[in-house]
Order: sequence, then structure tokens, then C-alpha cells
Amino acid sequence: MPEPIVQIRDLSKVYGRGEIEVRALDHVSLDIAAGEFLALMGPSGSGKSTLLHIIAGIDRPTGGQCIVQGTNVAELSETDLADWRNANVGFVFQTFNLIPVLTAFENVELPLLLTTLTASERRSHVEAALELVGLADRMTHLPRQLSGGQEQRVAIARALVMDPTLLVADEPTGNLDAHAAADVLSLLQRLNQEAGKTVILVTHDPKAASYARRTAHLEKGELLNGDGTKH
Amino acid sequence: MTIPGFILRNALRNKRRLVLTVLSVALSLFLFTTLQTALHLMAHPPTTEEAALRIATRHRVSLANVLPVKYQLRIERLPGVKYCSKFTFFGGIYKDQSHSNFAQFAVDADRILRIFSEMIVPRQQEEAFVKEKTACIVGAKLMERFGWKIGDRITFQGTIWGCDPELTIRGVYHGQGIDETLVFFHHDYFDELMGDRGLVGTFWTKAESAEAIPTLIDQIDAAFRNTDAETKTETERAFQLEFISMLGNVKLFIGSISTVIVFTMLLVTASTMSMAIRERSREMAILKAVGFNGTQIFSLILAESFGLAMTGGLLGCFGAKLLFTHVDVYKLSHGNVPMFPVTTDVIALGLLVALGLGVVSSLAPARASIKTTVVEGLKELD
Repeated sequence: MPEPIVQIRDLSKVYGRGEIEVRALDHVSLDIAAGEFLALMGPSGSGKSTLLHIIAGIDRPTGGQCIVQGTNVAELSETDLADWRNANVGFVFQTFNLIPVLTAFENVELPLLLTTLTASERRSHVEAALELVGLADRMTHLPRQLSGGQEQRVAIARALVMDPTLLVADEPTGNLDAHAAADVLSLLQRLNQEAGKTVILVTHDPKAASYARRTAHLEKGELLNGDGTKH
Repeated sequence: MTIPGFILRNALRNKRRLVLTVLSVALSLFLFTTLQTALHLMAHPPTTEEAALRIATRHRVSLANVLPVKYQLRIERLPGVKYCSKFTFFGGIYKDQSHSNFAQFAVDADRILRIFSEMIVPRQQEEAFVKEKTACIVGAKLMERFGWKIGDRITFQGTIWGCDPELTIRGVYHGQGIDETLVFFHHDYFDELMGDRGLVGTFWTKAESAEAIPTLIDQIDAAFRNTDAETKTETERAFQLEFISMLGNVKLFIGSISTVIVFTMLLVTASTMSMAIRERSREMAILKAVGFNGTQIFSLILAESFGLAMTGGLLGCFGAKLLFTHVDVYKLSHGNVPMFPVTTDVIALGLLVALGLGVVSSLAPARASIKTTVVEGLKELD
């Protein structure tokens, strides 16, 4: 098995304090290999999104370790974590989350504004990313001028533009029709297979999960074995 | 795209709100600039280089008390004195009360234009004024206001003094940075009307040099110490400020209104910025997710708020400057305000207020935005 890019050990996340405590993750341990396409499945409230957020460095665990590419993300300061996210993680969200006043090109360019790249270098990166998702002809369109599927592909281009190793997608097809959803999932699959990106997909849809090479199930914050029993 | 371009795009996303907010800041800064100009005029009355050579002597008790005319001779004999003139405020009514918001002074006709040399009168007119006891010279703005012409006869009804001088306009004065709304007539004529009682309001003296002034002030006051009418002599500037101080708490009143305006502006701008950022909380979360850190988020919000406040500030401050430069304030105020120069100092203060406004109004939304985690921010959209 290739070297794990994500190593999760005894990871816990507890929301709230005092009497009202919600245990979103309960001592979860998981390895994700480089170049893997993993689907995290589970019902609502199972902790799959929380796990994804901690791996992606936008949330912090209350216990355990989450090491991504050799970095214990929980130990980074907020500023270092922001830099780390910029360089290592590409995000795809359910609701696309494009900036409405920026064109497709400018939305994709956004993470590059934090780099030292020149305008022409940024342009070539953005064009390549939009080309990859099949939207080279929609660069000047505003989000409201795009379909849901196209918006999500712009979001994927934005996630790819920094060429991160890790691509995290939280219910990326939740707001799409079946056809657009299949397009987006195929794109993620292609990025995994052809570009070697490690993709972590959170979904509760078995059909979406079928695009992944491996599926991990969560329930009530605990990781289940292949036979449905708890670790 | 550049970061400034991104900030501009964000600022322009709700154009109606932007325009209304900028206009409210601009209007407030316009009022602020206007009030500060009024305050500035009170604290720093218009002055000229010549003013540094002038001193005023009045009764030690108050301006309302008069001095004996014989003091003039003693003042004139002091070393360092170039000219000395009687200078008595007449305060008469022209036609009716509503037309009488300008001052008239009884002066020594042959000296007044030497002492106030920034008042420019054509030689022929000056000679005509000096020669004729009932002649007067009038400021150019006042002439224009009432449509007077040289040779017109005007009568003032005395309110302080029991006489009604009937004067003939023989000259018009004008000059840079001076009040062109005054009337000067012969003190001899005033004395005659008053029955030669020898009463004078103040004496104005022009010194030979600015260096001579401190000594002169001491010498004049010392000369009349332990008399029935002791004097108080001071520089023109000190005299003007003392005169203004008689307006009481007007300065405090104007200062209070300015403070209220600034505070109201702060609330309006802070509220707008809070609303604008609150509407964008999920976008802020996305920015953080793609790598923007707290400082960068703060900078984006600060720049937007600063831009908004400064645009309003520039419009308001320079709008006031433009308006008061090109509008005849004297006419607009029906003769109550002879001049209203918006100075660079006042504009700088207005822009400083706008700058502070931009910074302070961005603090709360920026703090909230930085404190909100990416996950919390993203949840706000669901």
C-alpha cells in the first residue's frame, strides 16, 4: 500500500461544554493513501463532514491526531493553517460557494492572489484549470450566468488551481440534478485517476460513493468496519 | 484581478447602499467642515501682515467704557508710534433693524487708511473723504449689497450714542482678506454731534516695527495707570480673540454639534459595514478556506470601509471648499458672514475624521469575521 497521505489516530471532536456535549467524532483512526479516492459515508450527524473539515484544516479536533502530508494540522497556528490550506487543500462544497461579483476566471484566480505569481502566470494557471473542467469558454461568465453543474465545475477548478495534493468534496452533488452530478463525479474520478489527486468525498448517496475506490462508513461519530461493526 | 480590484468589486456589489452611505458620510463631513470653519474663524480671525503692527487701547474695565480723547496726544508722543487714530464703534441702524448687521466706526479720517493700509481706496476718493467732515468710506461688499453709489447719502440712527449721523459716501475700500462690510466716518463729526464731549471707544495705534509693540503696550498702559480711565492695550489679534470670547459658549455649542455629527457618521458607517460583512459571512469563510488569513481578511474589510469613508470625506470636505469658494457667502447670509474661507487645516481635519471613521467602523465587523471559523461561516448559508 502506498504511503498514507492522511494519518488519523484516535481522533475526537466534542461540541459544547458542560452538561450538553455532542460527540461528533469518537476516537476515529483512519489512514488515507496518496492517490486514493475515498468516500466517507454515513447518515446525517454521523460526523463525516466534521472528519473532512479536520482533515482539510478548517476545524480542529478536541483529541487525537490528524497528520496530513507529515503535518499535524491541529498544531498549526491560524495563520500557518491558512497558508497550509492554500498550498495543500482544494475545497469543493455542496453549495458551490463562488463569489457572486467575480467571473468564473476571477473566482478560480482567488487562491492565486495569495501567491507571488505574476498576472500572466496566474492567467495560465487559471486557464489550465478551467480547461481541465471543460469551462474554457465560460471564463467571463458570472456565477449567476452559469448552470449549477457549471458552477460546481468552476468550484472544482478553483480547488485545483493551486495544484493541491488533497481534494476534499463535501456533498458536491447535493444541489445538482442527476446528469450534472454524474459529470462532477466523473470529473473528480478523472482527477484522481489521471492527475493522481487524493480525493476525499463526503456523501450519503451510495451512487456517488460508487465513484470512489474505497468507502469508509461513519455512524454516531465512530468508524465502522467493512461488516458494519464498530472499530 | 488584483486585491484592490477585488475590494472595489465587493464595495460596488450593492450600489444603492453604497451611494446612500457615501452621500450620508459626505453630507455629514460637509456639515462638519462648515462648523469647523466657523470655529476656526472664531479661533483664528482673518489677519494680515499689517495687523502685526497694530495695537488697540481700550478702557481697562470693558469695551463699553469710554476713554478721554486727550489720551491720543500722549500715545502719539510715545517712541515707536507711527500713527494713532480714534476708533469708536457707532452701532447705528440703517433704515430698520434687518438692514443693520454691519458695523460703523467713527475714526480719524486722515490716519485710518495709514493704520489699516490693507484697505485700498483710490487716491481721489481718499482725498474727498478726508476733506469733507460728513463723508464716509464704505466696504465694497456693503456697497454692492445695498446698491449704493459714490455720492449717495446715508443716515444711521444711533442706538448706543444719542445722535444720527448723516453721511455722504465719498469712497469705497476693498482688499484681500479684510472685512469689506464696514463704514468709516469722521470722528470730528461724531464729536460735533455728541456735543464735543471728547469720548472715544478705543485708540488704534500703528507701531513703527513689530519689535516695538511689547514695549509700546507696556508704556501706554503705564501712562494711564492710576487715572480714572485706566487702559488695556493689546495686539490686534488678542483684541479680536477677546471680542470673540464675548460670544460665550458658541464655540462649545458648535464643538458639541460637530461631535454629534461625527458620532452619527460612525454609527451609520459601522452599521453599513456590519451589514455588508454579515451578508458576506459565507464568502469570508470561503476566503479563509482557500487560504486568506485573519490579517488579510481584516485588511480587505478595512480597505473597503476606509474607501467608503474617504470617498464620502473627500466629497464632503472638498464640496464645502468648492461651495464656499464659488458662492457669495456674504450675499447668501444676508450680510451676516463677510467671509468664510475653508482652510487647508479644516479640510485636513475633516479627512482625518473620515480616516478615523473608516478604521473604527471596520473594527467590529472585522473582529467578528476573524473570530468566525470557516465551519461556522459555511453553516450560515445552509
